[in-house]
Order: sequence, then structure tokens, then C-alpha cells
Amino acid sequence: MTQTPKLAWKGVTKRFGERAVLDGLDLSVAPGRSLVIIGGSGQGKSVTIKTALGLMRPEAGQIELDGENIVGLSESQRRKLFSRIGVLFQGAALFDSLSIWENVAFRLLNADGVPRKEARARAIEALEQVRLDPAVADRFPSELSGGMQKRAGLARAVVARPEILFFDEPTTGLDPITAAAINELISHQVRRLGSTAISITHDLASAQTIGDEIAMLHGGKIVWRGPAAELRTTDNPYVRQFVEGRADGPIAHTA
Amino acid sequence: MALREQWAETAMGVVVLALAGGFLTYSLSVGGVSTKRGAYEISAKFGEAGSLAPGAAVSVAGVKVGTVSQVTLEPKTYLAVAKLSIDPTVKLPADSTAKITSDGLLGGAHIAIAPGASLEDLKPGGEIENTQGAVDIFGLIGSVIRPQGGGSGGASEAAPAPSASQPAESY
Amino acid sequence: MTAGEAARKVAVNPIQALGRSTLAAIRMVGSVGVFAARGTAAALSPPWFPGQLLRQFMAIGFFSLPVVGLTAVFTGAALALNIFTGGGRFNAEQVMPQIVALGITRELGPVLAALMLAGRVSAAIAAEIGAMRATEQIDAMRTLSTDPFRYLVGPRLLAGVLMLPLLTAVADTIGVAGGWLVATRVLEFNPTVYIRNTIDFLESWDIVSGLIKAAVFGFIVALMGCYHGYNASGGARGVGRATTHAVVSSAILIFASDYLLTTFFTHMS
Repeated sequence: MTQTPKLAWKGVTKRFGERAVLDGLDLSVAPGRSLVIIGGSGQGKSVTIKTALGLMRPEAGQIELDGENIVGLSESQRRKLFSRIGVLFQGAALFDSLSIWENVAFRLLNADGVPRKEARARAIEALEQVRLDPAVADRFPSELSGGMQKRAGLARAVVARPEILFFDEPTTGLDPITAAAINELISHQVRRLGSTAISITHDLASAQTIGDEIAMLHGGKIVWRGPAAELRTTDNPYVRQFVEGRADGPIAHTA
Repeated sequence: MALREQWAETAMGVVVLALAGGFLTYSLSVGGVSTKRGAYEISAKFGEAGSLAPGAAVSVAGVKVGTVSQVTLEPKTYLAVAKLSIDPTVKLPADSTAKITSDGLLGGAHIAIAPGASLEDLKPGGEIENTQGAVDIFGLIGSVIRPQGGGSGGASEAAPAPSASQPAESY
Repeated sequence: MTAGEAARKVAVNPIQALGRSTLAAIRMVGSVGVFAARGTAAALSPPWFPGQLLRQFMAIGFFSLPVVGLTAVFTGAALALNIFTGGGRFNAEQVMPQIVALGITRELGPVLAALMLAGRVSAAIAAEIGAMRATEQIDAMRTLSTDPFRYLVGPRLLAGVLMLPLLTAVADTIGVAGGWLVATRVLEFNPTVYIRNTIDFLESWDIVSGLIKAAVFGFIVALMGCYHGYNASGGARGVGRATTHAVVSSAILIFASDYLLTTFFTHMS
């Protein structure tokens, strides 16, 4: 029995000027599964996520959520869609002028109309889920380290128990120990919520920890897809070059 | 958040508002002219008030002794009635003359009182009988350019004699 | 390439460049127009964000008081001296209070307050929103089901339109006070007569037309800050560029609309 994929890209093309960053991309994720997209820098990994989120609009193709096309939705339709989605951005993208708990509870306060006391309680709960001390709740983003900001960003993404989670380079810029902690938190949260997760990264350790399956993006298309365990054993030349970290091979560095 | 910066800015904002508010209050209160304590009021009637307005100075020999507190129109005689608020320490002879004069060609009208020789003083509520109203400069100029028989237009009259039209005194 | 070909190339390129920048300018007018319409719609329809609106009232209104007050008092004093000098050439020094009051309420109050805000507020808005754009905070806000136009732009537009008239009223008062101080201390005017003449002379339309101008200028200042910040691109340099563009375009639009409004108001009275 084939399930409807939770999220599917079908023939998605996105151009910037002359360059086709995504060129007929076909990719799908089954519900409750965690997919990690890897690839070289500038290969379009971020664009893949942004088209799914509606932050960018593809020139061609469809993106289906539970089988329904979500390209070209109106802003208000999309806002309803977002209540089912959580996103952790690359730099955490916390709002500088709000405290940590107001950041984490942002959706609750501003879109869902939750009263402040209740929102704060739920925010602190979420902070505890990502192993941040409740004392952090009243601090401001600029006072936190990069790792703590990412945790707060993760708390913000999961506080409303979304069906789908997106992670944009969750461990970039973090030291190995913090990165490992973030990886572990992510996979824990995804399993706890039973959400479908799509991550992009070029950190292989992260990919194998977070992902059930891995897909490699190159030249605007998926060149390999398989279970996380096969990442290091596959013969695919693109994956091999990437895994072994070689400068020469089928991936020529144009970025 | 630089809290100290915020406090300084807040304080400055309050100061500016206070200064603006203070000046505004002062300006508005000048409309209802503040009278010196114990000042007594006398009146004078003029055929022409010109630009005399409440708040204008009342002076004797060039020294300010009071202010104009009110300028109204007397309905039956159509004379301008000015109420003058005089410093209590200044006594004016009953036959003093009040003249509306100004500092320059335009505006700045005030009242100059020339003291008389009477042994009696003006009492509070009293009236200066001899007055000379504001001079209409443009009328004067017009009459010089185009002389018409008789008096110049708009010359003031000694109150209360509304029908006589007299040429202006030399000024 | 021959000399003739080279000469032709030079002749064509400036024209191409001019054409391109004209088209770009027209496109920008359209883009600003669309942005303004979206922002205004967001400001005038629910849901609103009262917390954000209050914050903007404080930031744009209250914290601009010191700079507006300083500008006004010095301008009023200088204006009084100059009008007195001018009036002296006609023996008309005595009308100085009236002219100063008119100049301040109709023109200098709104325009100078708006220019000070263009520098202070427009730049700050462009920097803040530009930095949010650069760090993906605006994208993040959209994924949190919150419309950035309602949360960021609307409150700032409303605050600009409502706060600048209030600031102008303060500027008018303090400007007249500045003139009054100079007149009474240096030029030997009678303090009460000065104020009396000012109040009797001013018509409510003088003050109201100035406040209407201020509302328009307030909208311009906030709009330029929001527009350039929202469309900033290219990291830190982009934010810096956005800030500069916001201030310059605010100032130019303030002067242009000032001329148009003044012409319109003069015809009306």
C-alpha cells in the first residue's frame, strides 16, 4: 500500500537569473519519516525548503502537502498552513527585541491569541524540552550563545506540536559537542512529536543522527536517495566524493 | 537594553513636554490678563481703539503703571471702552488725559496718560474724561495725497461728543 | 575596434544607462505604491498588535521630543531675529511676532520636525527591519503565521501619522517660545503684548494646515524606513544602504509634498 507522501516536490524548477538552482526536482517524504538533504554549498538546499514554505515561488512544478498542491496559495491560506509547520532557521532567526520566552511563544501570543500567562508557561515547558534553564526565559537573544539560540529556535519551532518540521543547517557554526547535543535534541523532538522532518545540512554526522533517509542534491536534482545507514556504503560517485571530502570528482566546485 | 540611556531620554522628553506645556499655559493666561494685587480699575472711552488690545501697557511719562484689562464696545454710543488696571501705588489726577499711541507705524498700541492738574484723584471705577483715540495713519496719508475739504478722515474725537469731527491734534 | 565604433559605443551607453535608471525609478514608484497600500491596509484592518503600536508611539513620538524641542527653540529664535531685521527695513518691526508665528505653524514647525524624524526615525526603522530581513527574522515571522505587514509595518505607519502632528504641536509651541525669548530679552518687546499679538493673529487654519502636513510627512518617514528596510539585501552592507536610502528618500519626499501641500492650502484660504 502506497501512502500519500506527507510532502512531495514534483518537477520543481527555480531559477535565479540564468541559473536553474532547482531543475525538475522530484522528492517525497513519507509521513513520520525524517529526511535529510545533503549537497555542496550553493546547490539549492535552502531553496528547496523555501519553495516548500512558500517563501520562494518556483517557476514550474508542484509541491504537495498531503497530496494537495501548495504552490501559489494566498497569504491567508498559507498562514493557516503554517500552523501545522515548525521551522528552525539557520541562525535561529530569533526576534532581537523580544525576550526568549516571547520568542518561543510568538505563535501562541500573536497568531493563536493565547493569554500571556498560559503562553509563558508553555514556552518554559518547551525550553525545558530543549534543556534550556527556565532562567533563560527572560533574557534576550543577544545575551545567548549560538548553541543556546539554536535551542531556543528549536523550542519555538516545536511549541505548537507541528506535523512537519524543517531544519535549515541546524549545526552549522557550532562546535562538535554542541552540534552533537543539537542533533540529539532534534531527533528526540521529532520522535516525541511523531512529526515528519526535513533537514538540510552538509554535516554528515548530523545527517546520520537526525535522518532516517538521506537524499543528495546536485545540479538541481536528486542524484541519490537511500537509508541513512547506506550513506557510507553506497557506490554513487557523487555521494562517495562528498563523504570522502575529496576536491576532485564528479562534483566540480563552481560555487 | 541600555537602561540608563532610556532613563535619560525619557527625562529629556518629559522636560521638553513640561517646557512646552508651561509656555502654552503662560500664553493662554495672558489672554485673561493677570492683575497686580490690589490694582484698581478705571476706564476710558475712545472713538477709535485702533489695535489696542488687553495686555497693552498703560504708562505715565513713559513709565508703565498698569495694563489694559479689557476693550469692549459700548452699545449705545459706539465708543470703545477700555478698562485700565492701575498699580495701587499710583494716583492719577481726575482731569488726566488718556491717549492711544504706538511705538511704530504698525501695531504696538498702548495708552499714555498725561496727568492733569486737579487736586482730586481718580477713584477706582472712575473714568478718564479726556481721551484721544488711535490715529488712522493711512487715512492721514490719504488726506495729504488727496486733500478733501474739512477734517481728515477718521480723526479722533474727545469723548463723549460723537457728532463733532475735529482734525487730529498734532501728534 | 575603430575610432568610429568606439565613439558610437560611448554615445549609446549613457543613453542606455539613463533609460535603464528611469525605468528603474518608475518601477520603484510602483513598488513603493504597492508597499504603501499593503501597509495601510494592514494598519487599518484587524487584527492589530496594540503592544507593537504602543512601542512605536514611544519610539517615534516620545523619544523624538528632545531633538524636536531643540530644533524648534533655536529655529524660532533665529527666525525672530531675521524677521525683526527684515521688518526694520519697512519700520514694521512690530509685526515680527505675527510673521514668526505664521512661519513656524505653517511651515517650519512641520517641515523641520519631519526632517529631524527623517534622520532619526526613518534610519532606525530601516536599520531594524533591514537587519531582521538579513537574519531571516521576517521569513521566520511568516512561518509563525504572523503577517510582517501587520506586526512591523502597520504599527510604524500609524505611529508616524499620529505622532508627528503631536510633535509638530510641541515644535510650534517651543518655536514661538524661542522667538518670544529673543524678542523679550534682546529686542525689548513687551512680553504680554508679544503673546497677545501672536494669539490674536494666528488663525486656526494656520495651525491645522501645519498639522495636516505633519501627518503626511509622518507617513512618508515611516513608509520609507519600512520599505527600504523590508527590501534590504546583501547582508550588513545592504542594511547600511537601506538606511541611507530611507533618509534621503524621506527628505526628498518631504520637500516635494511640502510644496504641493502648501500650494493646495494657499489656494484653499
